[in-house]
Amino acid sequence: MRPNRFHLLLLFSVFVVATCGLIYELVAGTLASYLLGDSVTQFSTIIGVYLFSMGIGSWFSKYFDKNLLSWFIQIEILVGLIGGTSSTLLFFLFEQTESFRLVLYMMVMLTGIFVGLEIPLLMRILENRFEFKELVSKVFTFDYIGALLASVIFPLLLIPHLGIIRTSYFFGLLNIGVALVVLIQFSKEINWFKRLQFQAFVSLLLLLAGFVYADRIMSFTESMAYPDKIIYAKTTHYQRIIITKNQRELRLFLNGNLQFSSADEYRYHEALVHPGLAALPYAKNVLVLGGGDGLAVREILKYPNINRITLVDLDKEMTSMFTQNSMLANLNKHSFSNPKVKVINADAFTWAKSHTAQFDFIVVDFPDPSNFSIGKLYSNRFYQEIEKLLSPEGIVVIQSTSPYVAPKSFWCIDKTLQSVGFNTVPYHVYVPSFGEWGYVMGMKKHDYQLPANFPAGLKYVNRESLKQMIYFPADMAKVPTEVNKLNNQVLVHYFEDEWAKYL
Amino acid sequence: MSGQNTYNQSANLLSRLNRKAFLLRAGIGLTAAIAGGYLFNRKRSAKTAHIKGSIIGANAKIGHLLRDKLSIPEPSTTEEIEYLIIGGGISGLAAARELKRQGISSFKLIELDNHTGGNSSKGKNEISAYPWGAHYLPIPDPSDSSIISFLTEIGCITGFSPEGLPIYNEYHLCFDPEERLYIRGQWQEGLIPNLGLSLEERTEIERFFKLMEYYKTAKGIDGKYAFAIPLKDSSSDPTFINLDKISFITFLEKEKFRSKHLLWYLNYACKDDFGSTLNETSAWAGIHYFASRKGKAANAKNGDLLTWPEGNAWLAEQLRSQVADHISVNSVAFNVSVNNDSVLTSVYNTVDHKSKIIKARKVLLATPQFVNQRLLHEVNSDRSTSVYEQFSYAPWMIANITIHQLPVSKGIGLCWDNVMFESDSVGYVNACHQHVNQNENKKILTYYLPLTGKEPKIQRLVAFTRSYNDWVDIVCKDLENSHPGITEFIETVDIWIWGHGMVRPNPGFIWGEAKRMASQPINDKVFFAHTDLSGISIFEEAFHQGIAAAKSMTSTETHNGNS
Ligand SMILES: Cc1cc2nc3c(=O)[nH]c(=O)nc-3n(C[C@H](O)[C@H](O)[C@H](O)COP(=O)(O)OP(=O)(O)OC[C@H]3O[C@@H](n4cnc5c(N)ncnc54)[C@H](O)[C@@H]3O)c2cc1C
Repeated sequence: MRPNRFHLLLLFSVFVVATCGLIYELVAGTLASYLLGDSVTQFSTIIGVYLFSMGIGSWFSKYFDKNLLSWFIQIEILVGLIGGTSSTLLFFLFEQTESFRLVLYMMVMLTGIFVGLEIPLLMRILENRFEFKELVSKVFTFDYIGALLASVIFPLLLIPHLGIIRTSYFFGLLNIGVALVVLIQFSKEINWFKRLQFQAFVSLLLLLAGFVYADRIMSFTESMAYPDKIIYAKTTHYQRIIITKNQRELRLFLNGNLQFSSADEYRYHEALVHPGLAALPYAKNVLVLGGGDGLAVREILKYPNINRITLVDLDKEMTSMFTQNSMLANLNKHSFSNPKVKVINADAFTWAKSHTAQFDFIVVDFPDPSNFSIGKLYSNRFYQEIEKLLSPEGIVVIQSTSPYVAPKSFWCIDKTLQSVGFNTVPYHVYVPSFGEWGYVMGMKKHDYQLPANFPAGLKYVNRESLKQMIYFPADMAKVPTEVNKLNNQVLVHYFEDEWAKYL
Repeated sequence: MSGQNTYNQSANLLSRLNRKAFLLRAGIGLTAAIAGGYLFNRKRSAKTAHIKGSIIGANAKIGHLLRDKLSIPEPSTTEEIEYLIIGGGISGLAAARELKRQGISSFKLIELDNHTGGNSSKGKNEISAYPWGAHYLPIPDPSDSSIISFLTEIGCITGFSPEGLPIYNEYHLCFDPEERLYIRGQWQEGLIPNLGLSLEERTEIERFFKLMEYYKTAKGIDGKYAFAIPLKDSSSDPTFINLDKISFITFLEKEKFRSKHLLWYLNYACKDDFGSTLNETSAWAGIHYFASRKGKAANAKNGDLLTWPEGNAWLAEQLRSQVADHISVNSVAFNVSVNNDSVLTSVYNTVDHKSKIIKARKVLLATPQFVNQRLLHEVNSDRSTSVYEQFSYAPWMIANITIHQLPVSKGIGLCWDNVMFESDSVGYVNACHQHVNQNENKKILTYYLPLTGKEPKIQRLVAFTRSYNDWVDIVCKDLENSHPGITEFIETVDIWIWGHGMVRPNPGFIWGEAKRMASQPINDKVFFAHTDLSGISIFEEAFHQGIAAAKSMTSTETHNGNS
C-alpha cells in the first residue's frame, strides 16, 4: 500500500472518530434534557464529563506500548458499540429513575475515555510517518473539522430526519466501518486479526439491526412527545404515568392523555365536587371511584360534615405516588394521609359489584371512554351498581368528557344515567387546559336545588357561576342518543367519531 | 325375518369391506401424520420452545376402557333406584332437572368424567375461566317456554317487558365489540366478508340473506315453522324436508350462489356449527343455521348471544347445582341389560376401581350413539350396526392460549369472536371478553379447529396420534398469519381433543330412518336423549332432548308398540 493512501486513511479515521465522539455527546445531552428536563444543566454537565473523560483517556494512552494499530481498532469497535447503542440503552434505562443518571454519566465517561485514547494512539501510530508539526496540525485540523461537522448536522439533518435513535446507530456503524477498513487495509500489521474481525462483524450486525428496527424501539419511548421537561415517568401494571413541569405548572399524563394541569385543575375539581356536595349538607360518607391523584378528595375534605371518604383506584403506584411524593402530595394537600380517607386499590367495577354499603355522595372520575374496556365503566349496568351504592337522598357525579367537542358522548352519559332511573343535572365548566368540560349529576329522588352555601376559599364555583354551568347554550345543546350498554358500547363509538376530528 | 337378515348380512359384508378400505386409508393418514410429526418436525420449532402446556383431554383412556373392557373388575355390589341417567352432558343434566321438577327423588345420574358438562365443560386458571367446548347460546325464541323458564330461574332473564319480551341480564349478553374477520391484511367488523368485495358479490350476499329471511318465517302445510328449534318442532312438509336429501353446496349451486366470499362464509358457518364442510352438510341443516333462530328480547336483538367466560359450562353448572345430590362422577357405565321388570347397568368407578350394578326401573342413556352401541350390545332391539353407522361425528381440537400481549394489527381491535378468512380453524374467542374489570394485559384465547377434510374416523386417528408439539406448531402457524409476532407473546397452550365432538348433519341424516330408530325407547325401559338424536349439536337441542326423554320415561306406563 502506498504511504499516501495510508496516511489519508488514518487521517480520515481521525475525522470520523471526532465526528462520532461529538455526536454521542450531543445524543446524550439531548436525551438527558428530553428525559430529565433543564437542558442547560444537562448539556453543561455532559460536556464537562465528556471532556474530562477524554483527558483520562489521553492520560491512559501512555500505558499502551505495543500493537498500537490493533488497540486502535479494538477501541474503535468499542466506541462504535457503546455509542451506537447508547440512545437505546438510555431510553430503556430511563424507567429505573434512580440509576438513570449513573448509567448516563457512565456511558458518557466511557465514550469520552475511549475517544480520548484514540487521538494520542493515532498520533503515535503516525509519529514516524510525518514530521511532528505536520502531524499535530493535521490531526487536530481533522479533529476540529469533524467536531464542526457534527455540531452542524446534528440539529439540522440528523435529529429531524433520522431521529435520535437511528442517529446513534448510524454513527456507531461509521465507527465500525472505519475499524473494518483499517483492519483490512493493514491486515498484515495486525496481531489479533481474527478476533477483531469477528468482533467487528458482530457489532456491525447488531448496529444494523438496531438501525433497521429503530422505529420499534422508538415506539417504546413515546416520552419524546412531551413538550415540557419530564420529571417523573413510570409504567405501572395498568398505565404509563408521566409528569412534566415548566415554570408555571405541573401536568399529569396517563397513557399520553392529559389528566390535569396544576395551573387550572382547581376549576375541574371544584366543578366536579361542589355542585353536588354543597347541596348535601347532611352528607357523611363519600365514595370516589378513580381519582387516584387525590385532587377530588382534597375538595371533599373542605366539608367538615364529611367523616369518611373511600377512594377506589385501580393503580396502587398512582395513589402511593400521590401520597408519598412531596411535590404531588402538596398538590392534593396531603389528602391521602388524612385519617378520614381510606384508599382501596381495586377495579372499580368489580368493587362496586361486590359491595353494598351506602354513600351519600359518589364521585366517578374515570378517564374518557376512549376504549371498550373503559367504556364498560360508563354502561347502564355500571350505573345500576352505582345506584345500589347511593343513599336515597344522595347524589352521584360523573366526569363526562367535553359537551362542546363530543356532544353525543356527553348526552349519551346523561341518557344512560336516566335509563337506570336517575334524575340528572348536566353541567359544564371551562378549564383552560382542557377546554369546555362536562359533568352529569344523578340523583334518585329530589329535584336539585342550587346550594346556598359553598366552602370558603373556592376560586371558581359559587352560586352565580353554577347558574352559568347548568345552562347549555345552543352549541352544546342536548342531542338524542342511545343508551350505553355493555352489549352495544355506543359511547365508545360516539367518542371515537367525535374526538377523531380533533386528534 | 329373513328380509331383515339379508339386510344385516349384506350390511356386515359391506362394513367388512369398508373396514379393509378404511384400514388402508387410515394407514395413509397416520403415516402422513407420523412422518410429519416425527421425521420433519420431531422437536418443536425454536420459536415456540418457550410455550408451556399439554394435551389436557379428552380422557381417551376411559373411552378405551369402555371399548376394550380390559381390567374392569366384575361388579360386586348392587344398588337399586327408580331411574338412572347415564351421561352428565347438557342432555343428561336437563333430564335430571326435569325429574326433580316432577318431584321425583329416586334417581341418579352417572358421569364417566370427574365433572359434569360433557361438551360444555370448562377450565380455569388465575386469569379467567375458559371453555373447553360450547361457548354461547343465542337468545332463544320467547315462545320456547321451557328454556325461558330455565333462564329465568338462573337469573339470566331478569324480568319481562310490558309486551312480554324477556329482559336479559346484561352481564350475560355478549359485550360489544362482538365479532371481527381478518381479511386482506386487516380486521373488519362482523364476520360476513365485506372489505374489498365487488358490487356483484355484495348483491349476491344480500340475495342469500333475503332468501334466509324467507325461510325464517316460512311455514309448512302442517302450519309449523319450516325451520324450528327444537328441531323436532319443524314442519315435516316435503317441500322443506326434501332439502335434507341434498348437500348444502348442491342447493347453493342450484340457487346460483357463486361468490367466493359468500361460499367461504357459509362453509365457515357449517364448520362452526356442525364441524362439517358445505358438501358434507345437508341443505336443510345449512338453512336451519340461518333460519331457525327466532330469538327476541326487550333489550337485545334477534341473533344476539349469551356468553360467559367459561362458555356454556356456566349453563351446565346451573343445571348441575339443581340436582347435585343425585350425581355420581367418575362412574362409567360399561354394560346395560334389560330384564322383565328392570334394567341392570354395570358401572365402574375410575377412582376406587370397583364395579357395581345399578338396578333401575328405567334408564335414560344421555350418551352418544357410538357409546350406546357398546353399552347395549347384549340388548335386543332394532338398533342394528347399520343404524349406528349412520351417525358420524366431527372431531375437534380446542386450544386455550394464555397470552400476555396481542401484537398490534390493522383494523378493529380484539372482539369476542375473531375469525380468520381462509383459515382451517373457525377462529378464536376471547375468554376474558365478559370480564367487567379494566383490561389486564393477560388474556385467554380459546381457539377452535374442526378436523374436517378427510373422513372423521381418519381425522380422529390422526388427531390422537399428533403430539403436543405438533398441535402447538399448528396453532401458532395459523395465528401468525393474522398476528405476525404473536408466538413470542404466548405463554401457555393447552389442548383438548374431542374425538367425537359433534354429530354431523350429513345429507339425509336429520330426516332419515337411522336417527328415528335410534331415538325409539326400548321396551319402555331404556330411553334416549342426546344432541346426536337431533342431528344438530346445540345447547337448545340437548336441553329439549333431556326434558322430552325424562317426560316420556315418567309418563304413565303406556305400552309402547315398538318391542
Ligand atoms: C368444539 C365444540 C364447540 C361447541 N360449541 C357450541 C356452542 O357454542 N353452542 C352450543 O350450543 N353448542 C356447542 N357445541 C355443542 C355441544 O356439544 C352441545 O351444546 C351440548 O353440550 C351437547 O350435550 P349432550 O348432553 O347432548 O352431549 P355430551 O356433551 O356429549 O354429553 C354426554 C356425556 O356423557 C358422558 N358419557 C359418555 N359415555 C359415558 C359412559 N359410558 N358412562 C357415563 N357417562 C358417559 C360424557 O362424558 C358426557 O359428559 C359445541 C361442541 C363442540 C364439540
